[in-house]
Amino acid sequence: MSLFDICQALQDSAIGTSIRESLWTFPVIETIHILALALSVGMVVMLDLRLIGAGMRHTPAGQIMGQLKKWYLIGFGTMAASGVLLFWSEAAKCYRSDSFRIKLLLLLLGGLNALYFEIVYKPRMGQWETGQSPPAGAKVCGWCSMILWIGVIGFGRWTAYGMK
Amino acid sequence: MGRIVFYFFRWADESSVGAAIRASTWVFAFIEVFHLLGLTLLLGTVVLVDLRLCGYGLRRQSIAEVASDALPWMLVGMAVTIGSGSLLFVSEAMKCYGSPPFFVKMGFLFTALVFTFTLHRKLTKRNTPPPPVWGKVAAGLSLFLWFGVGLAGRAIAFY
Repeated sequence: MSLFDICQALQDSAIGTSIRESLWTFPVIETIHILALALSVGMVVMLDLRLIGAGMRHTPAGQIMGQLKKWYLIGFGTMAASGVLLFWSEAAKCYRSDSFRIKLLLLLLGGLNALYFEIVYKPRMGQWETGQSPPAGAKVCGWCSMILWIGVIGFGRWTAYGMK
Repeated sequence: MGRIVFYFFRWADESSVGAAIRASTWVFAFIEVFHLLGLTLLLGTVVLVDLRLCGYGLRRQSIAEVASDALPWMLVGMAVTIGSGSLLFVSEAMKCYGSPPFFVKMGFLFTALVFTFTLHRKLTKRNTPPPPVWGKVAAGLSLFLWFGVGLAGRAIAFY
């Protein structure tokens, strides 16, 4: 049994088929997947912009992260749930799509980048007050985060077009 | 008036820019990626300010501080979304002409823009916070209008 067989079985399952073949289910889930970008990537970008010194000057980075965490977790939770359902209905198509593979890779890198930031910089965030610039490494994390999320969105859209 | 609207859509549809975008399979998709990136930034900043108006999110900062911090990036998001959207429009203007959701979307967009830069802005600019009820009403209306733009936009693909 290969990974492709599993994907094909998922796609052919009752749930996968009903999402794919219903007139409304797929577009509704897809719309939720797109609009939840505002709460997920939209919120994280605000933190990233603060880290690289490009905005949100009234709020120290630690406060942005602390106060928005609940909201971007809701956002990413919605993204993950809707994304899994979309994948379920087109798993075999996704398996063959290079764009989807690149998207997953960038998603993984984005997660690792966030994890690295959480472990290395978050405990020290209280020290960077309003006027003070975050350390260079934290800025690099901010840049990586933005570039990776742009990539995830781009290759996600490309996947939906069914392009290779 | 209806005739002028029709001529405008025809003119956009027949423009060389529209034809150039139509001629390539990937240019349209590429512009649409920018449309989504702009949407992320625009809706992200809108949600940030409206959450604050409702007493959620960046509560340790004042409404005016959150709004003034978000404004430049909201404008960037608007510029990217409307710029890329205009290009998408000219590439399929006649399709849009026949699509009821397109006109609904433009109605929402126009109302959202006017509301955001007048009443909403006035409420979030003041150093004294608005009465909580009005903050919530303004936030609710803003979210309704901007997400309405997104929902109607998605529906263009179906009608």
